Amino acid sequence: MIKSSNQLLAILLFGVLLIAAPYSAAHQQKSAISTISFNPRTQNIEIMHRFRMHDAEHAVKHIFGKNADIINSTETKEQFSDYVNQHFSMLVNDESLLLTNIGYENDGQFFWVYQETAEPSALENMSIRHDALRDIWPNQVNTINIEGKGVVQTVTFSDSVELLKVSF
Amino acid sequence: MFTTFIKVAILSLSTVVITSANAEINQTKGDYIDKFRQLDESLPTPNVYRNAAGEPGHQYWQQQVDYVIKAKLDEEKRRIEASQTITYHNNSPDTLKYLWVQLDQNKFREDSMSATTTTFGGIGSRGPATSSATSSKPARLSLDALRRQQFVDDNVLGYDIQSVKDNKGNKLHYVIVGTNMRIDLPKKLPPGKEITFDIDYTFNIVEEDAVSARSGYEHFPDDARKGGNDIFLLAQWFPRLHAYTDYEAWTNKEFIGRGEFTLEFGNYDVELTVPADHIVSSTGKLTNARSVLTSTQRKRLKEAEKADRIVFVVTEEEALENEKEGTDKTKTWKFSAKNVRDFAWASSRKFMWDARGHQQGGTEQPLVMAMSFYPKEGGDLWKKYSTESIIHTLDVYSRFSFDYPYPVAQSVNGPVGGMEYPMITFNGPRTELQKDGSRTYSQAEKRFLIGVVIHEIGHIYFPMIVNSDERQWTWMDEGLNSFLDGVAGREWDPTIPWGVEPRDIVGYMKSSVQVPIMTQSDSVLRLGPNGYTKPAAALNILRETILGRELFDFAFKEYATRWKYKRPTPSDFFRTMEEASGVDLDWFWRGWFYSTDHVDISLDKISKLRLDTKNPDIDFNRLRQEELDKPLSKTDERNKAEGKKLWIERFSDITDFYDENDRFTVTNKERNTYNKFIDKLKPWERKTLERAIKEDKNYYVLDFSNKGGLVMPIILELNFADGSKENQYIPAEIWRRTPKAVSKLIITDKDKELVSVTVDPRWETADVDVHNNHYPRKIIPSRIEAYKRKKSTAKVSRDIMQDIKTELKENDKDSSENDKKQ
Repeated sequence: MIKSSNQLLAILLFGVLLIAAPYSAAHQQKSAISTISFNPRTQNIEIMHRFRMHDAEHAVKHIFGKNADIINSTETKEQFSDYVNQHFSMLVNDESLLLTNIGYENDGQFFWVYQETAEPSALENMSIRHDALRDIWPNQVNTINIEGKGVVQTVTFSDSVELLKVSF
Repeated sequence: MFTTFIKVAILSLSTVVITSANAEINQTKGDYIDKFRQLDESLPTPNVYRNAAGEPGHQYWQQQVDYVIKAKLDEEKRRIEASQTITYHNNSPDTLKYLWVQLDQNKFREDSMSATTTTFGGIGSRGPATSSATSSKPARLSLDALRRQQFVDDNVLGYDIQSVKDNKGNKLHYVIVGTNMRIDLPKKLPPGKEITFDIDYTFNIVEEDAVSARSGYEHFPDDARKGGNDIFLLAQWFPRLHAYTDYEAWTNKEFIGRGEFTLEFGNYDVELTVPADHIVSSTGKLTNARSVLTSTQRKRLKEAEKADRIVFVVTEEEALENEKEGTDKTKTWKFSAKNVRDFAWASSRKFMWDARGHQQGGTEQPLVMAMSFYPKEGGDLWKKYSTESIIHTLDVYSRFSFDYPYPVAQSVNGPVGGMEYPMITFNGPRTELQKDGSRTYSQAEKRFLIGVVIHEIGHIYFPMIVNSDERQWTWMDEGLNSFLDGVAGREWDPTIPWGVEPRDIVGYMKSSVQVPIMTQSDSVLRLGPNGYTKPAAALNILRETILGRELFDFAFKEYATRWKYKRPTPSDFFRTMEEASGVDLDWFWRGWFYSTDHVDISLDKISKLRLDTKNPDIDFNRLRQEELDKPLSKTDERNKAEGKKLWIERFSDITDFYDENDRFTVTNKERNTYNKFIDKLKPWERKTLERAIKEDKNYYVLDFSNKGGLVMPIILELNFADGSKENQYIPAEIWRRTPKAVSKLIITDKDKELVSVTVDPRWETADVDVHNNHYPRKIIPSRIEAYKRKKSTAKVSRDIMQDIKTELKENDKDSSENDKKQ
């Protein structure tokens, strides 16, 4: 039993599909970038998550099992899209905003997942949670640019950060 | 002692003065920022070693280090035992009392700076991860992290330095400091002299998959041979001299993991003793082919020199046969490499080996053997594309720099994702074994292979020949190389997304996690976008948009040839590009490399102006027309609609002068003033006015603001009422005195009426917000809106090789399986 400051270290099971460091942009980077964009025309908040195809390829096998296939299987794509939806949330006054799942698409080297919600009135600040892939890869880094409401703000989910707040 | 102290004091005092002198160039009134301030004060002062042109100076020097190494690979123990003789040539003007040696294997020791400063759950180091506790989850250790820990526990890692002796067998005193070793010389080494000494050492090879290194072994437990087989990749495998330079003296910064290597050129003679059934790929030219290759293999190699397609020196069948059993016998492979900065090699009984001669011509190295080494796991993917990618890379990179100067260029498949050394690269992509026993690969994996081979072979030019300091500056090799691998990639197949377009970097550049490109490698926050993509995109912009291909390619080639086999610093690159292109680029280096500004140019307003003729008979009519063009008063309109009779209509018999003449009526009073004005004009003024009135051109004033801070050229697409289009390029210098906002007058012919203007219509400047690039503003659908309109289905990542085997289901009603395929 491994103990550390009275806290049990849970062992996270995942395989050995480790590919070495980022010498080429073409392989696993364990990083995703999302955009939260306030669309003044629709009064909606649009959320666009961009994952690297190579990350997603490996991730789905950890999450949904060996046969998961983000490239060929619509089922896996949907599963992954649902998974991302479940692992991302925005909170206003401690209440989660209801986000609509818009869809997903594969565009070149990226896999995109889209969500949307109506912009709450008099929005002054918001908390964001983005755990996608961070539950399977502790060194997954998720970066979010928040645009369309004042200057661009950036929040980064790395280490043990799980909730970040932005004010407008 | 006292004098020394005084000197030091004065020296540090003057340093302070210089620093504050720099700081004193400061705008302390108003908010003007000089985005075009010359870089001179920020760059190191030119000297006899590096001149102001960015060229090696007339007294440029660098050290030379030659190695003779005899190494034995103990396959069973996965251990290297070696002895080496080093000859160190002191070409510097300094007398050296000690030498610094890199002991990179010590990074894997438990007490290394790399290991002890790895944060729990934090970012920064390579390799397996951990994550600290959060409110909902306990702290976590990944299995990979545990595997690494166990590997470090079970294996003694790091160098075992057994002896350091001079060439007479006398022990030399040495001190190990982490990944560095200082060897004290018994006698000072004056300029122009050399010293020869020996180091005997051993170390246990790390398992690459367990510790995530740049080399190591990979175990294949499922091979037919009892106990399986290994692929050994050996790099950072011998004590290497640190570079001693004119700009930093000893570059003995601890190896923490990210900042790579800074090395000296030299000649190598290396003997590698490995199991007799292994195939060895190595830096250098094989000098004893007769003793290690069969006559068939030598014949095939010869045949490959002039072949149109790859020739197998070891075929797949032979490799499969070979990997079934082992041997107790050994063979010694001998390699010789001239003028290289490092030496790496690979060894395994699993390798098949293909080769094809690249006849590049020229006098230096007319024939280069492009060769690939890979196990069955590499399969067809490697057979088809590895060696061909090598040759394509040599083709393109040589055009941008110089003929490839070495006899071989190799790509070896093993556990490392991608890593470069002189004449040899390690590349990771593989095929997937399917249930039916065949091996297939996705299009993503194919792109990965072609991309990574181009990238790593490209590194043989930068930094293996143009020898930049990787420990300090990742961008100098990764940025330049990513730029060129994008060029080579597009010449291979432009439909593959190569990822160095300006648009690929906007997400990073607008974020607040950006750090300047000019940041030491170990401190960079996001190495991928910072060290690779941003500098590559910047150079792309410099080539395609700012300088143009002719100027850029000339300057870039000048940089490469100036620094071939030499050691450039960032300032040498900046100075050469500017000096050879003849274009002031200090603003570009400042914006892209020294700052975290991004590009966001907004076209805020366009006003149309018309020239007054001063002639009342013309101008008064225009004013009357302007008045008439105004919208009718609502009250008047409604009165009319209601049929209200106006007073002037009801009493039309009562009229006077003003009913006939409105306020725009011209009298001789105005005409006299006009004639007086014309009379007073000098002849040239009159001529100018007359012509302008005759031409009656359109005058537009465009107001721009710079929201991102980075000054860039303004590229305009002007759209006219007659449907025609015109492009205008305004150099970045337009921002020089008002970096936040500028206005630009555009004059067009009378019949060329402007209807809309777009800034940067082809997305070539990395402008992060294209909404404000249009005037009048345009509704640009967001990604989500566009997606809702047209659901795109990109099909490039399908593993069609596997899917094509899908059997057609006869029963239409039971086609749910097929439906899942997109």
